[in-house]
Amino acid sequence: MRYLLISICFIFFGCASFPKKNNFVVTPVTSNINNPYFANPDQDYIYKANIEVYDNAFGGIFIVKKIGDQHHRIVFTTEMGNKLFDFTFNKDDFTVNYILDDLNKKILINVLKKDFKVLITEHLTAEKNYAIADEIIKKTSLDNKTYYYFESPEITKIIRANSHKEKVRFLFTDLNDNIAQQIEIIHSNIKLKINLKSITK
Amino acid sequence: MRKLVYILFFTVFATQAQTPMNSTEAMTLKSKVKALATTTKTISSDFVQYKHLDFLDNDIETSGKLAFKAPDLVKWEYVAPFKYSVLFKDETLFINDEGNKSNVDIGSNKMFKQLNKLIISSVKGDMFDEVEFTIEYFHKDQNSLVYFSPRDKKFAKYIQAFHITFNSKGDVIEVKMLEPSQDYTKIVFSNKVLNQTLDNAIFTN
Repeated sequence: MRYLLISICFIFFGCASFPKKNNFVVTPVTSNINNPYFANPDQDYIYKANIEVYDNAFGGIFIVKKIGDQHHRIVFTTEMGNKLFDFTFNKDDFTVNYILDDLNKKILINVLKKDFKVLITEHLTAEKNYAIADEIIKKTSLDNKTYYYFESPEITKIIRANSHKEKVRFLFTDLNDNIAQQIEIIHSNIKLKINLKSITK
Repeated sequence: MRKLVYILFFTVFATQAQTPMNSTEAMTLKSKVKALATTTKTISSDFVQYKHLDFLDNDIETSGKLAFKAPDLVKWEYVAPFKYSVLFKDETLFINDEGNKSNVDIGSNKMFKQLNKLIISSVKGDMFDEVEFTIEYFHKDQNSLVYFSPRDKKFAKYIQAFHITFNSKGDVIEVKMLEPSQDYTKIVFSNKVLNQTLDNAIFTN
């Protein structure tokens, strides 16, 4: 009987929605989401990157440039300058301009595409608003996935979650003049962690 | 009209800065570089690397030090704006990424083997292999400029050409690696010292 109760408890809590599980308090929607971190077309955004994927770790240089409205170029090179991949995001279009043969795997490209689209998307509609301590949390959708933007008041964290569980976490720290000096992208369902450290001048 | 004359003048002037060598001049340069390369036992140099991507406002600048010891020890060490080094030693590529150390067995990896060979030969400038490259020779100001274009189609997908600039002594002062997209990586050497005794401790990770 006790086990049954515990099991029921687990099922109950396990099924609780993501906001409920995290004790978010519903508040009225007052404003939409504005992500400023890759929004300046006059800025070359350059990051030293470290990627841990399963038991491999490798580094490189991660480059983002806003070419126009909802139009970005994202390139990853080795430290010695060899291009590993080169992507273009233009509104809903996505183009692989170049990718090293060894990395040319559909599943990998899709994961990167989804992650990077979050980094560069500037304007999103807040569908619901929550609060926890002094943070405001805005719920939104991007390409049919649910995201929670944590603002205090700058965006410090973005979480992609299904209805119950966190899938990917984006952390923005050391915020300075609309540039996030440190960005971490941590996946919880696959062993993938991307660490970006700004070397922008 | 005056504008046109100016433009013509500058075009002629600009093209004159880089003129093709005749075959005798090319042969002379080739033997000078080869002679210097065979007597080069060690190299130590500072370098600045410029990564040019057409869509960026500015090239990405990184800088560091290079050490080479014959026959095949090479260490590239980036110092700014981050610390990162690669050491080619005993068929292994040792990487030190801001303290995180890892290594790659080159012996089993054909591409790394080729890369290692190319790095050594481009540092010394000794890439005059007509089987592997189409080679073109130019005068450029007081220096010589040589284009090495890989004949191997698979390799040419990564690097369309190496443009190496030699000073009057036949020593490499600049290496430019051109991608098919016309983006490039340019490495400019400074404070280059040849044949100075280099401690083995430099070639540790």
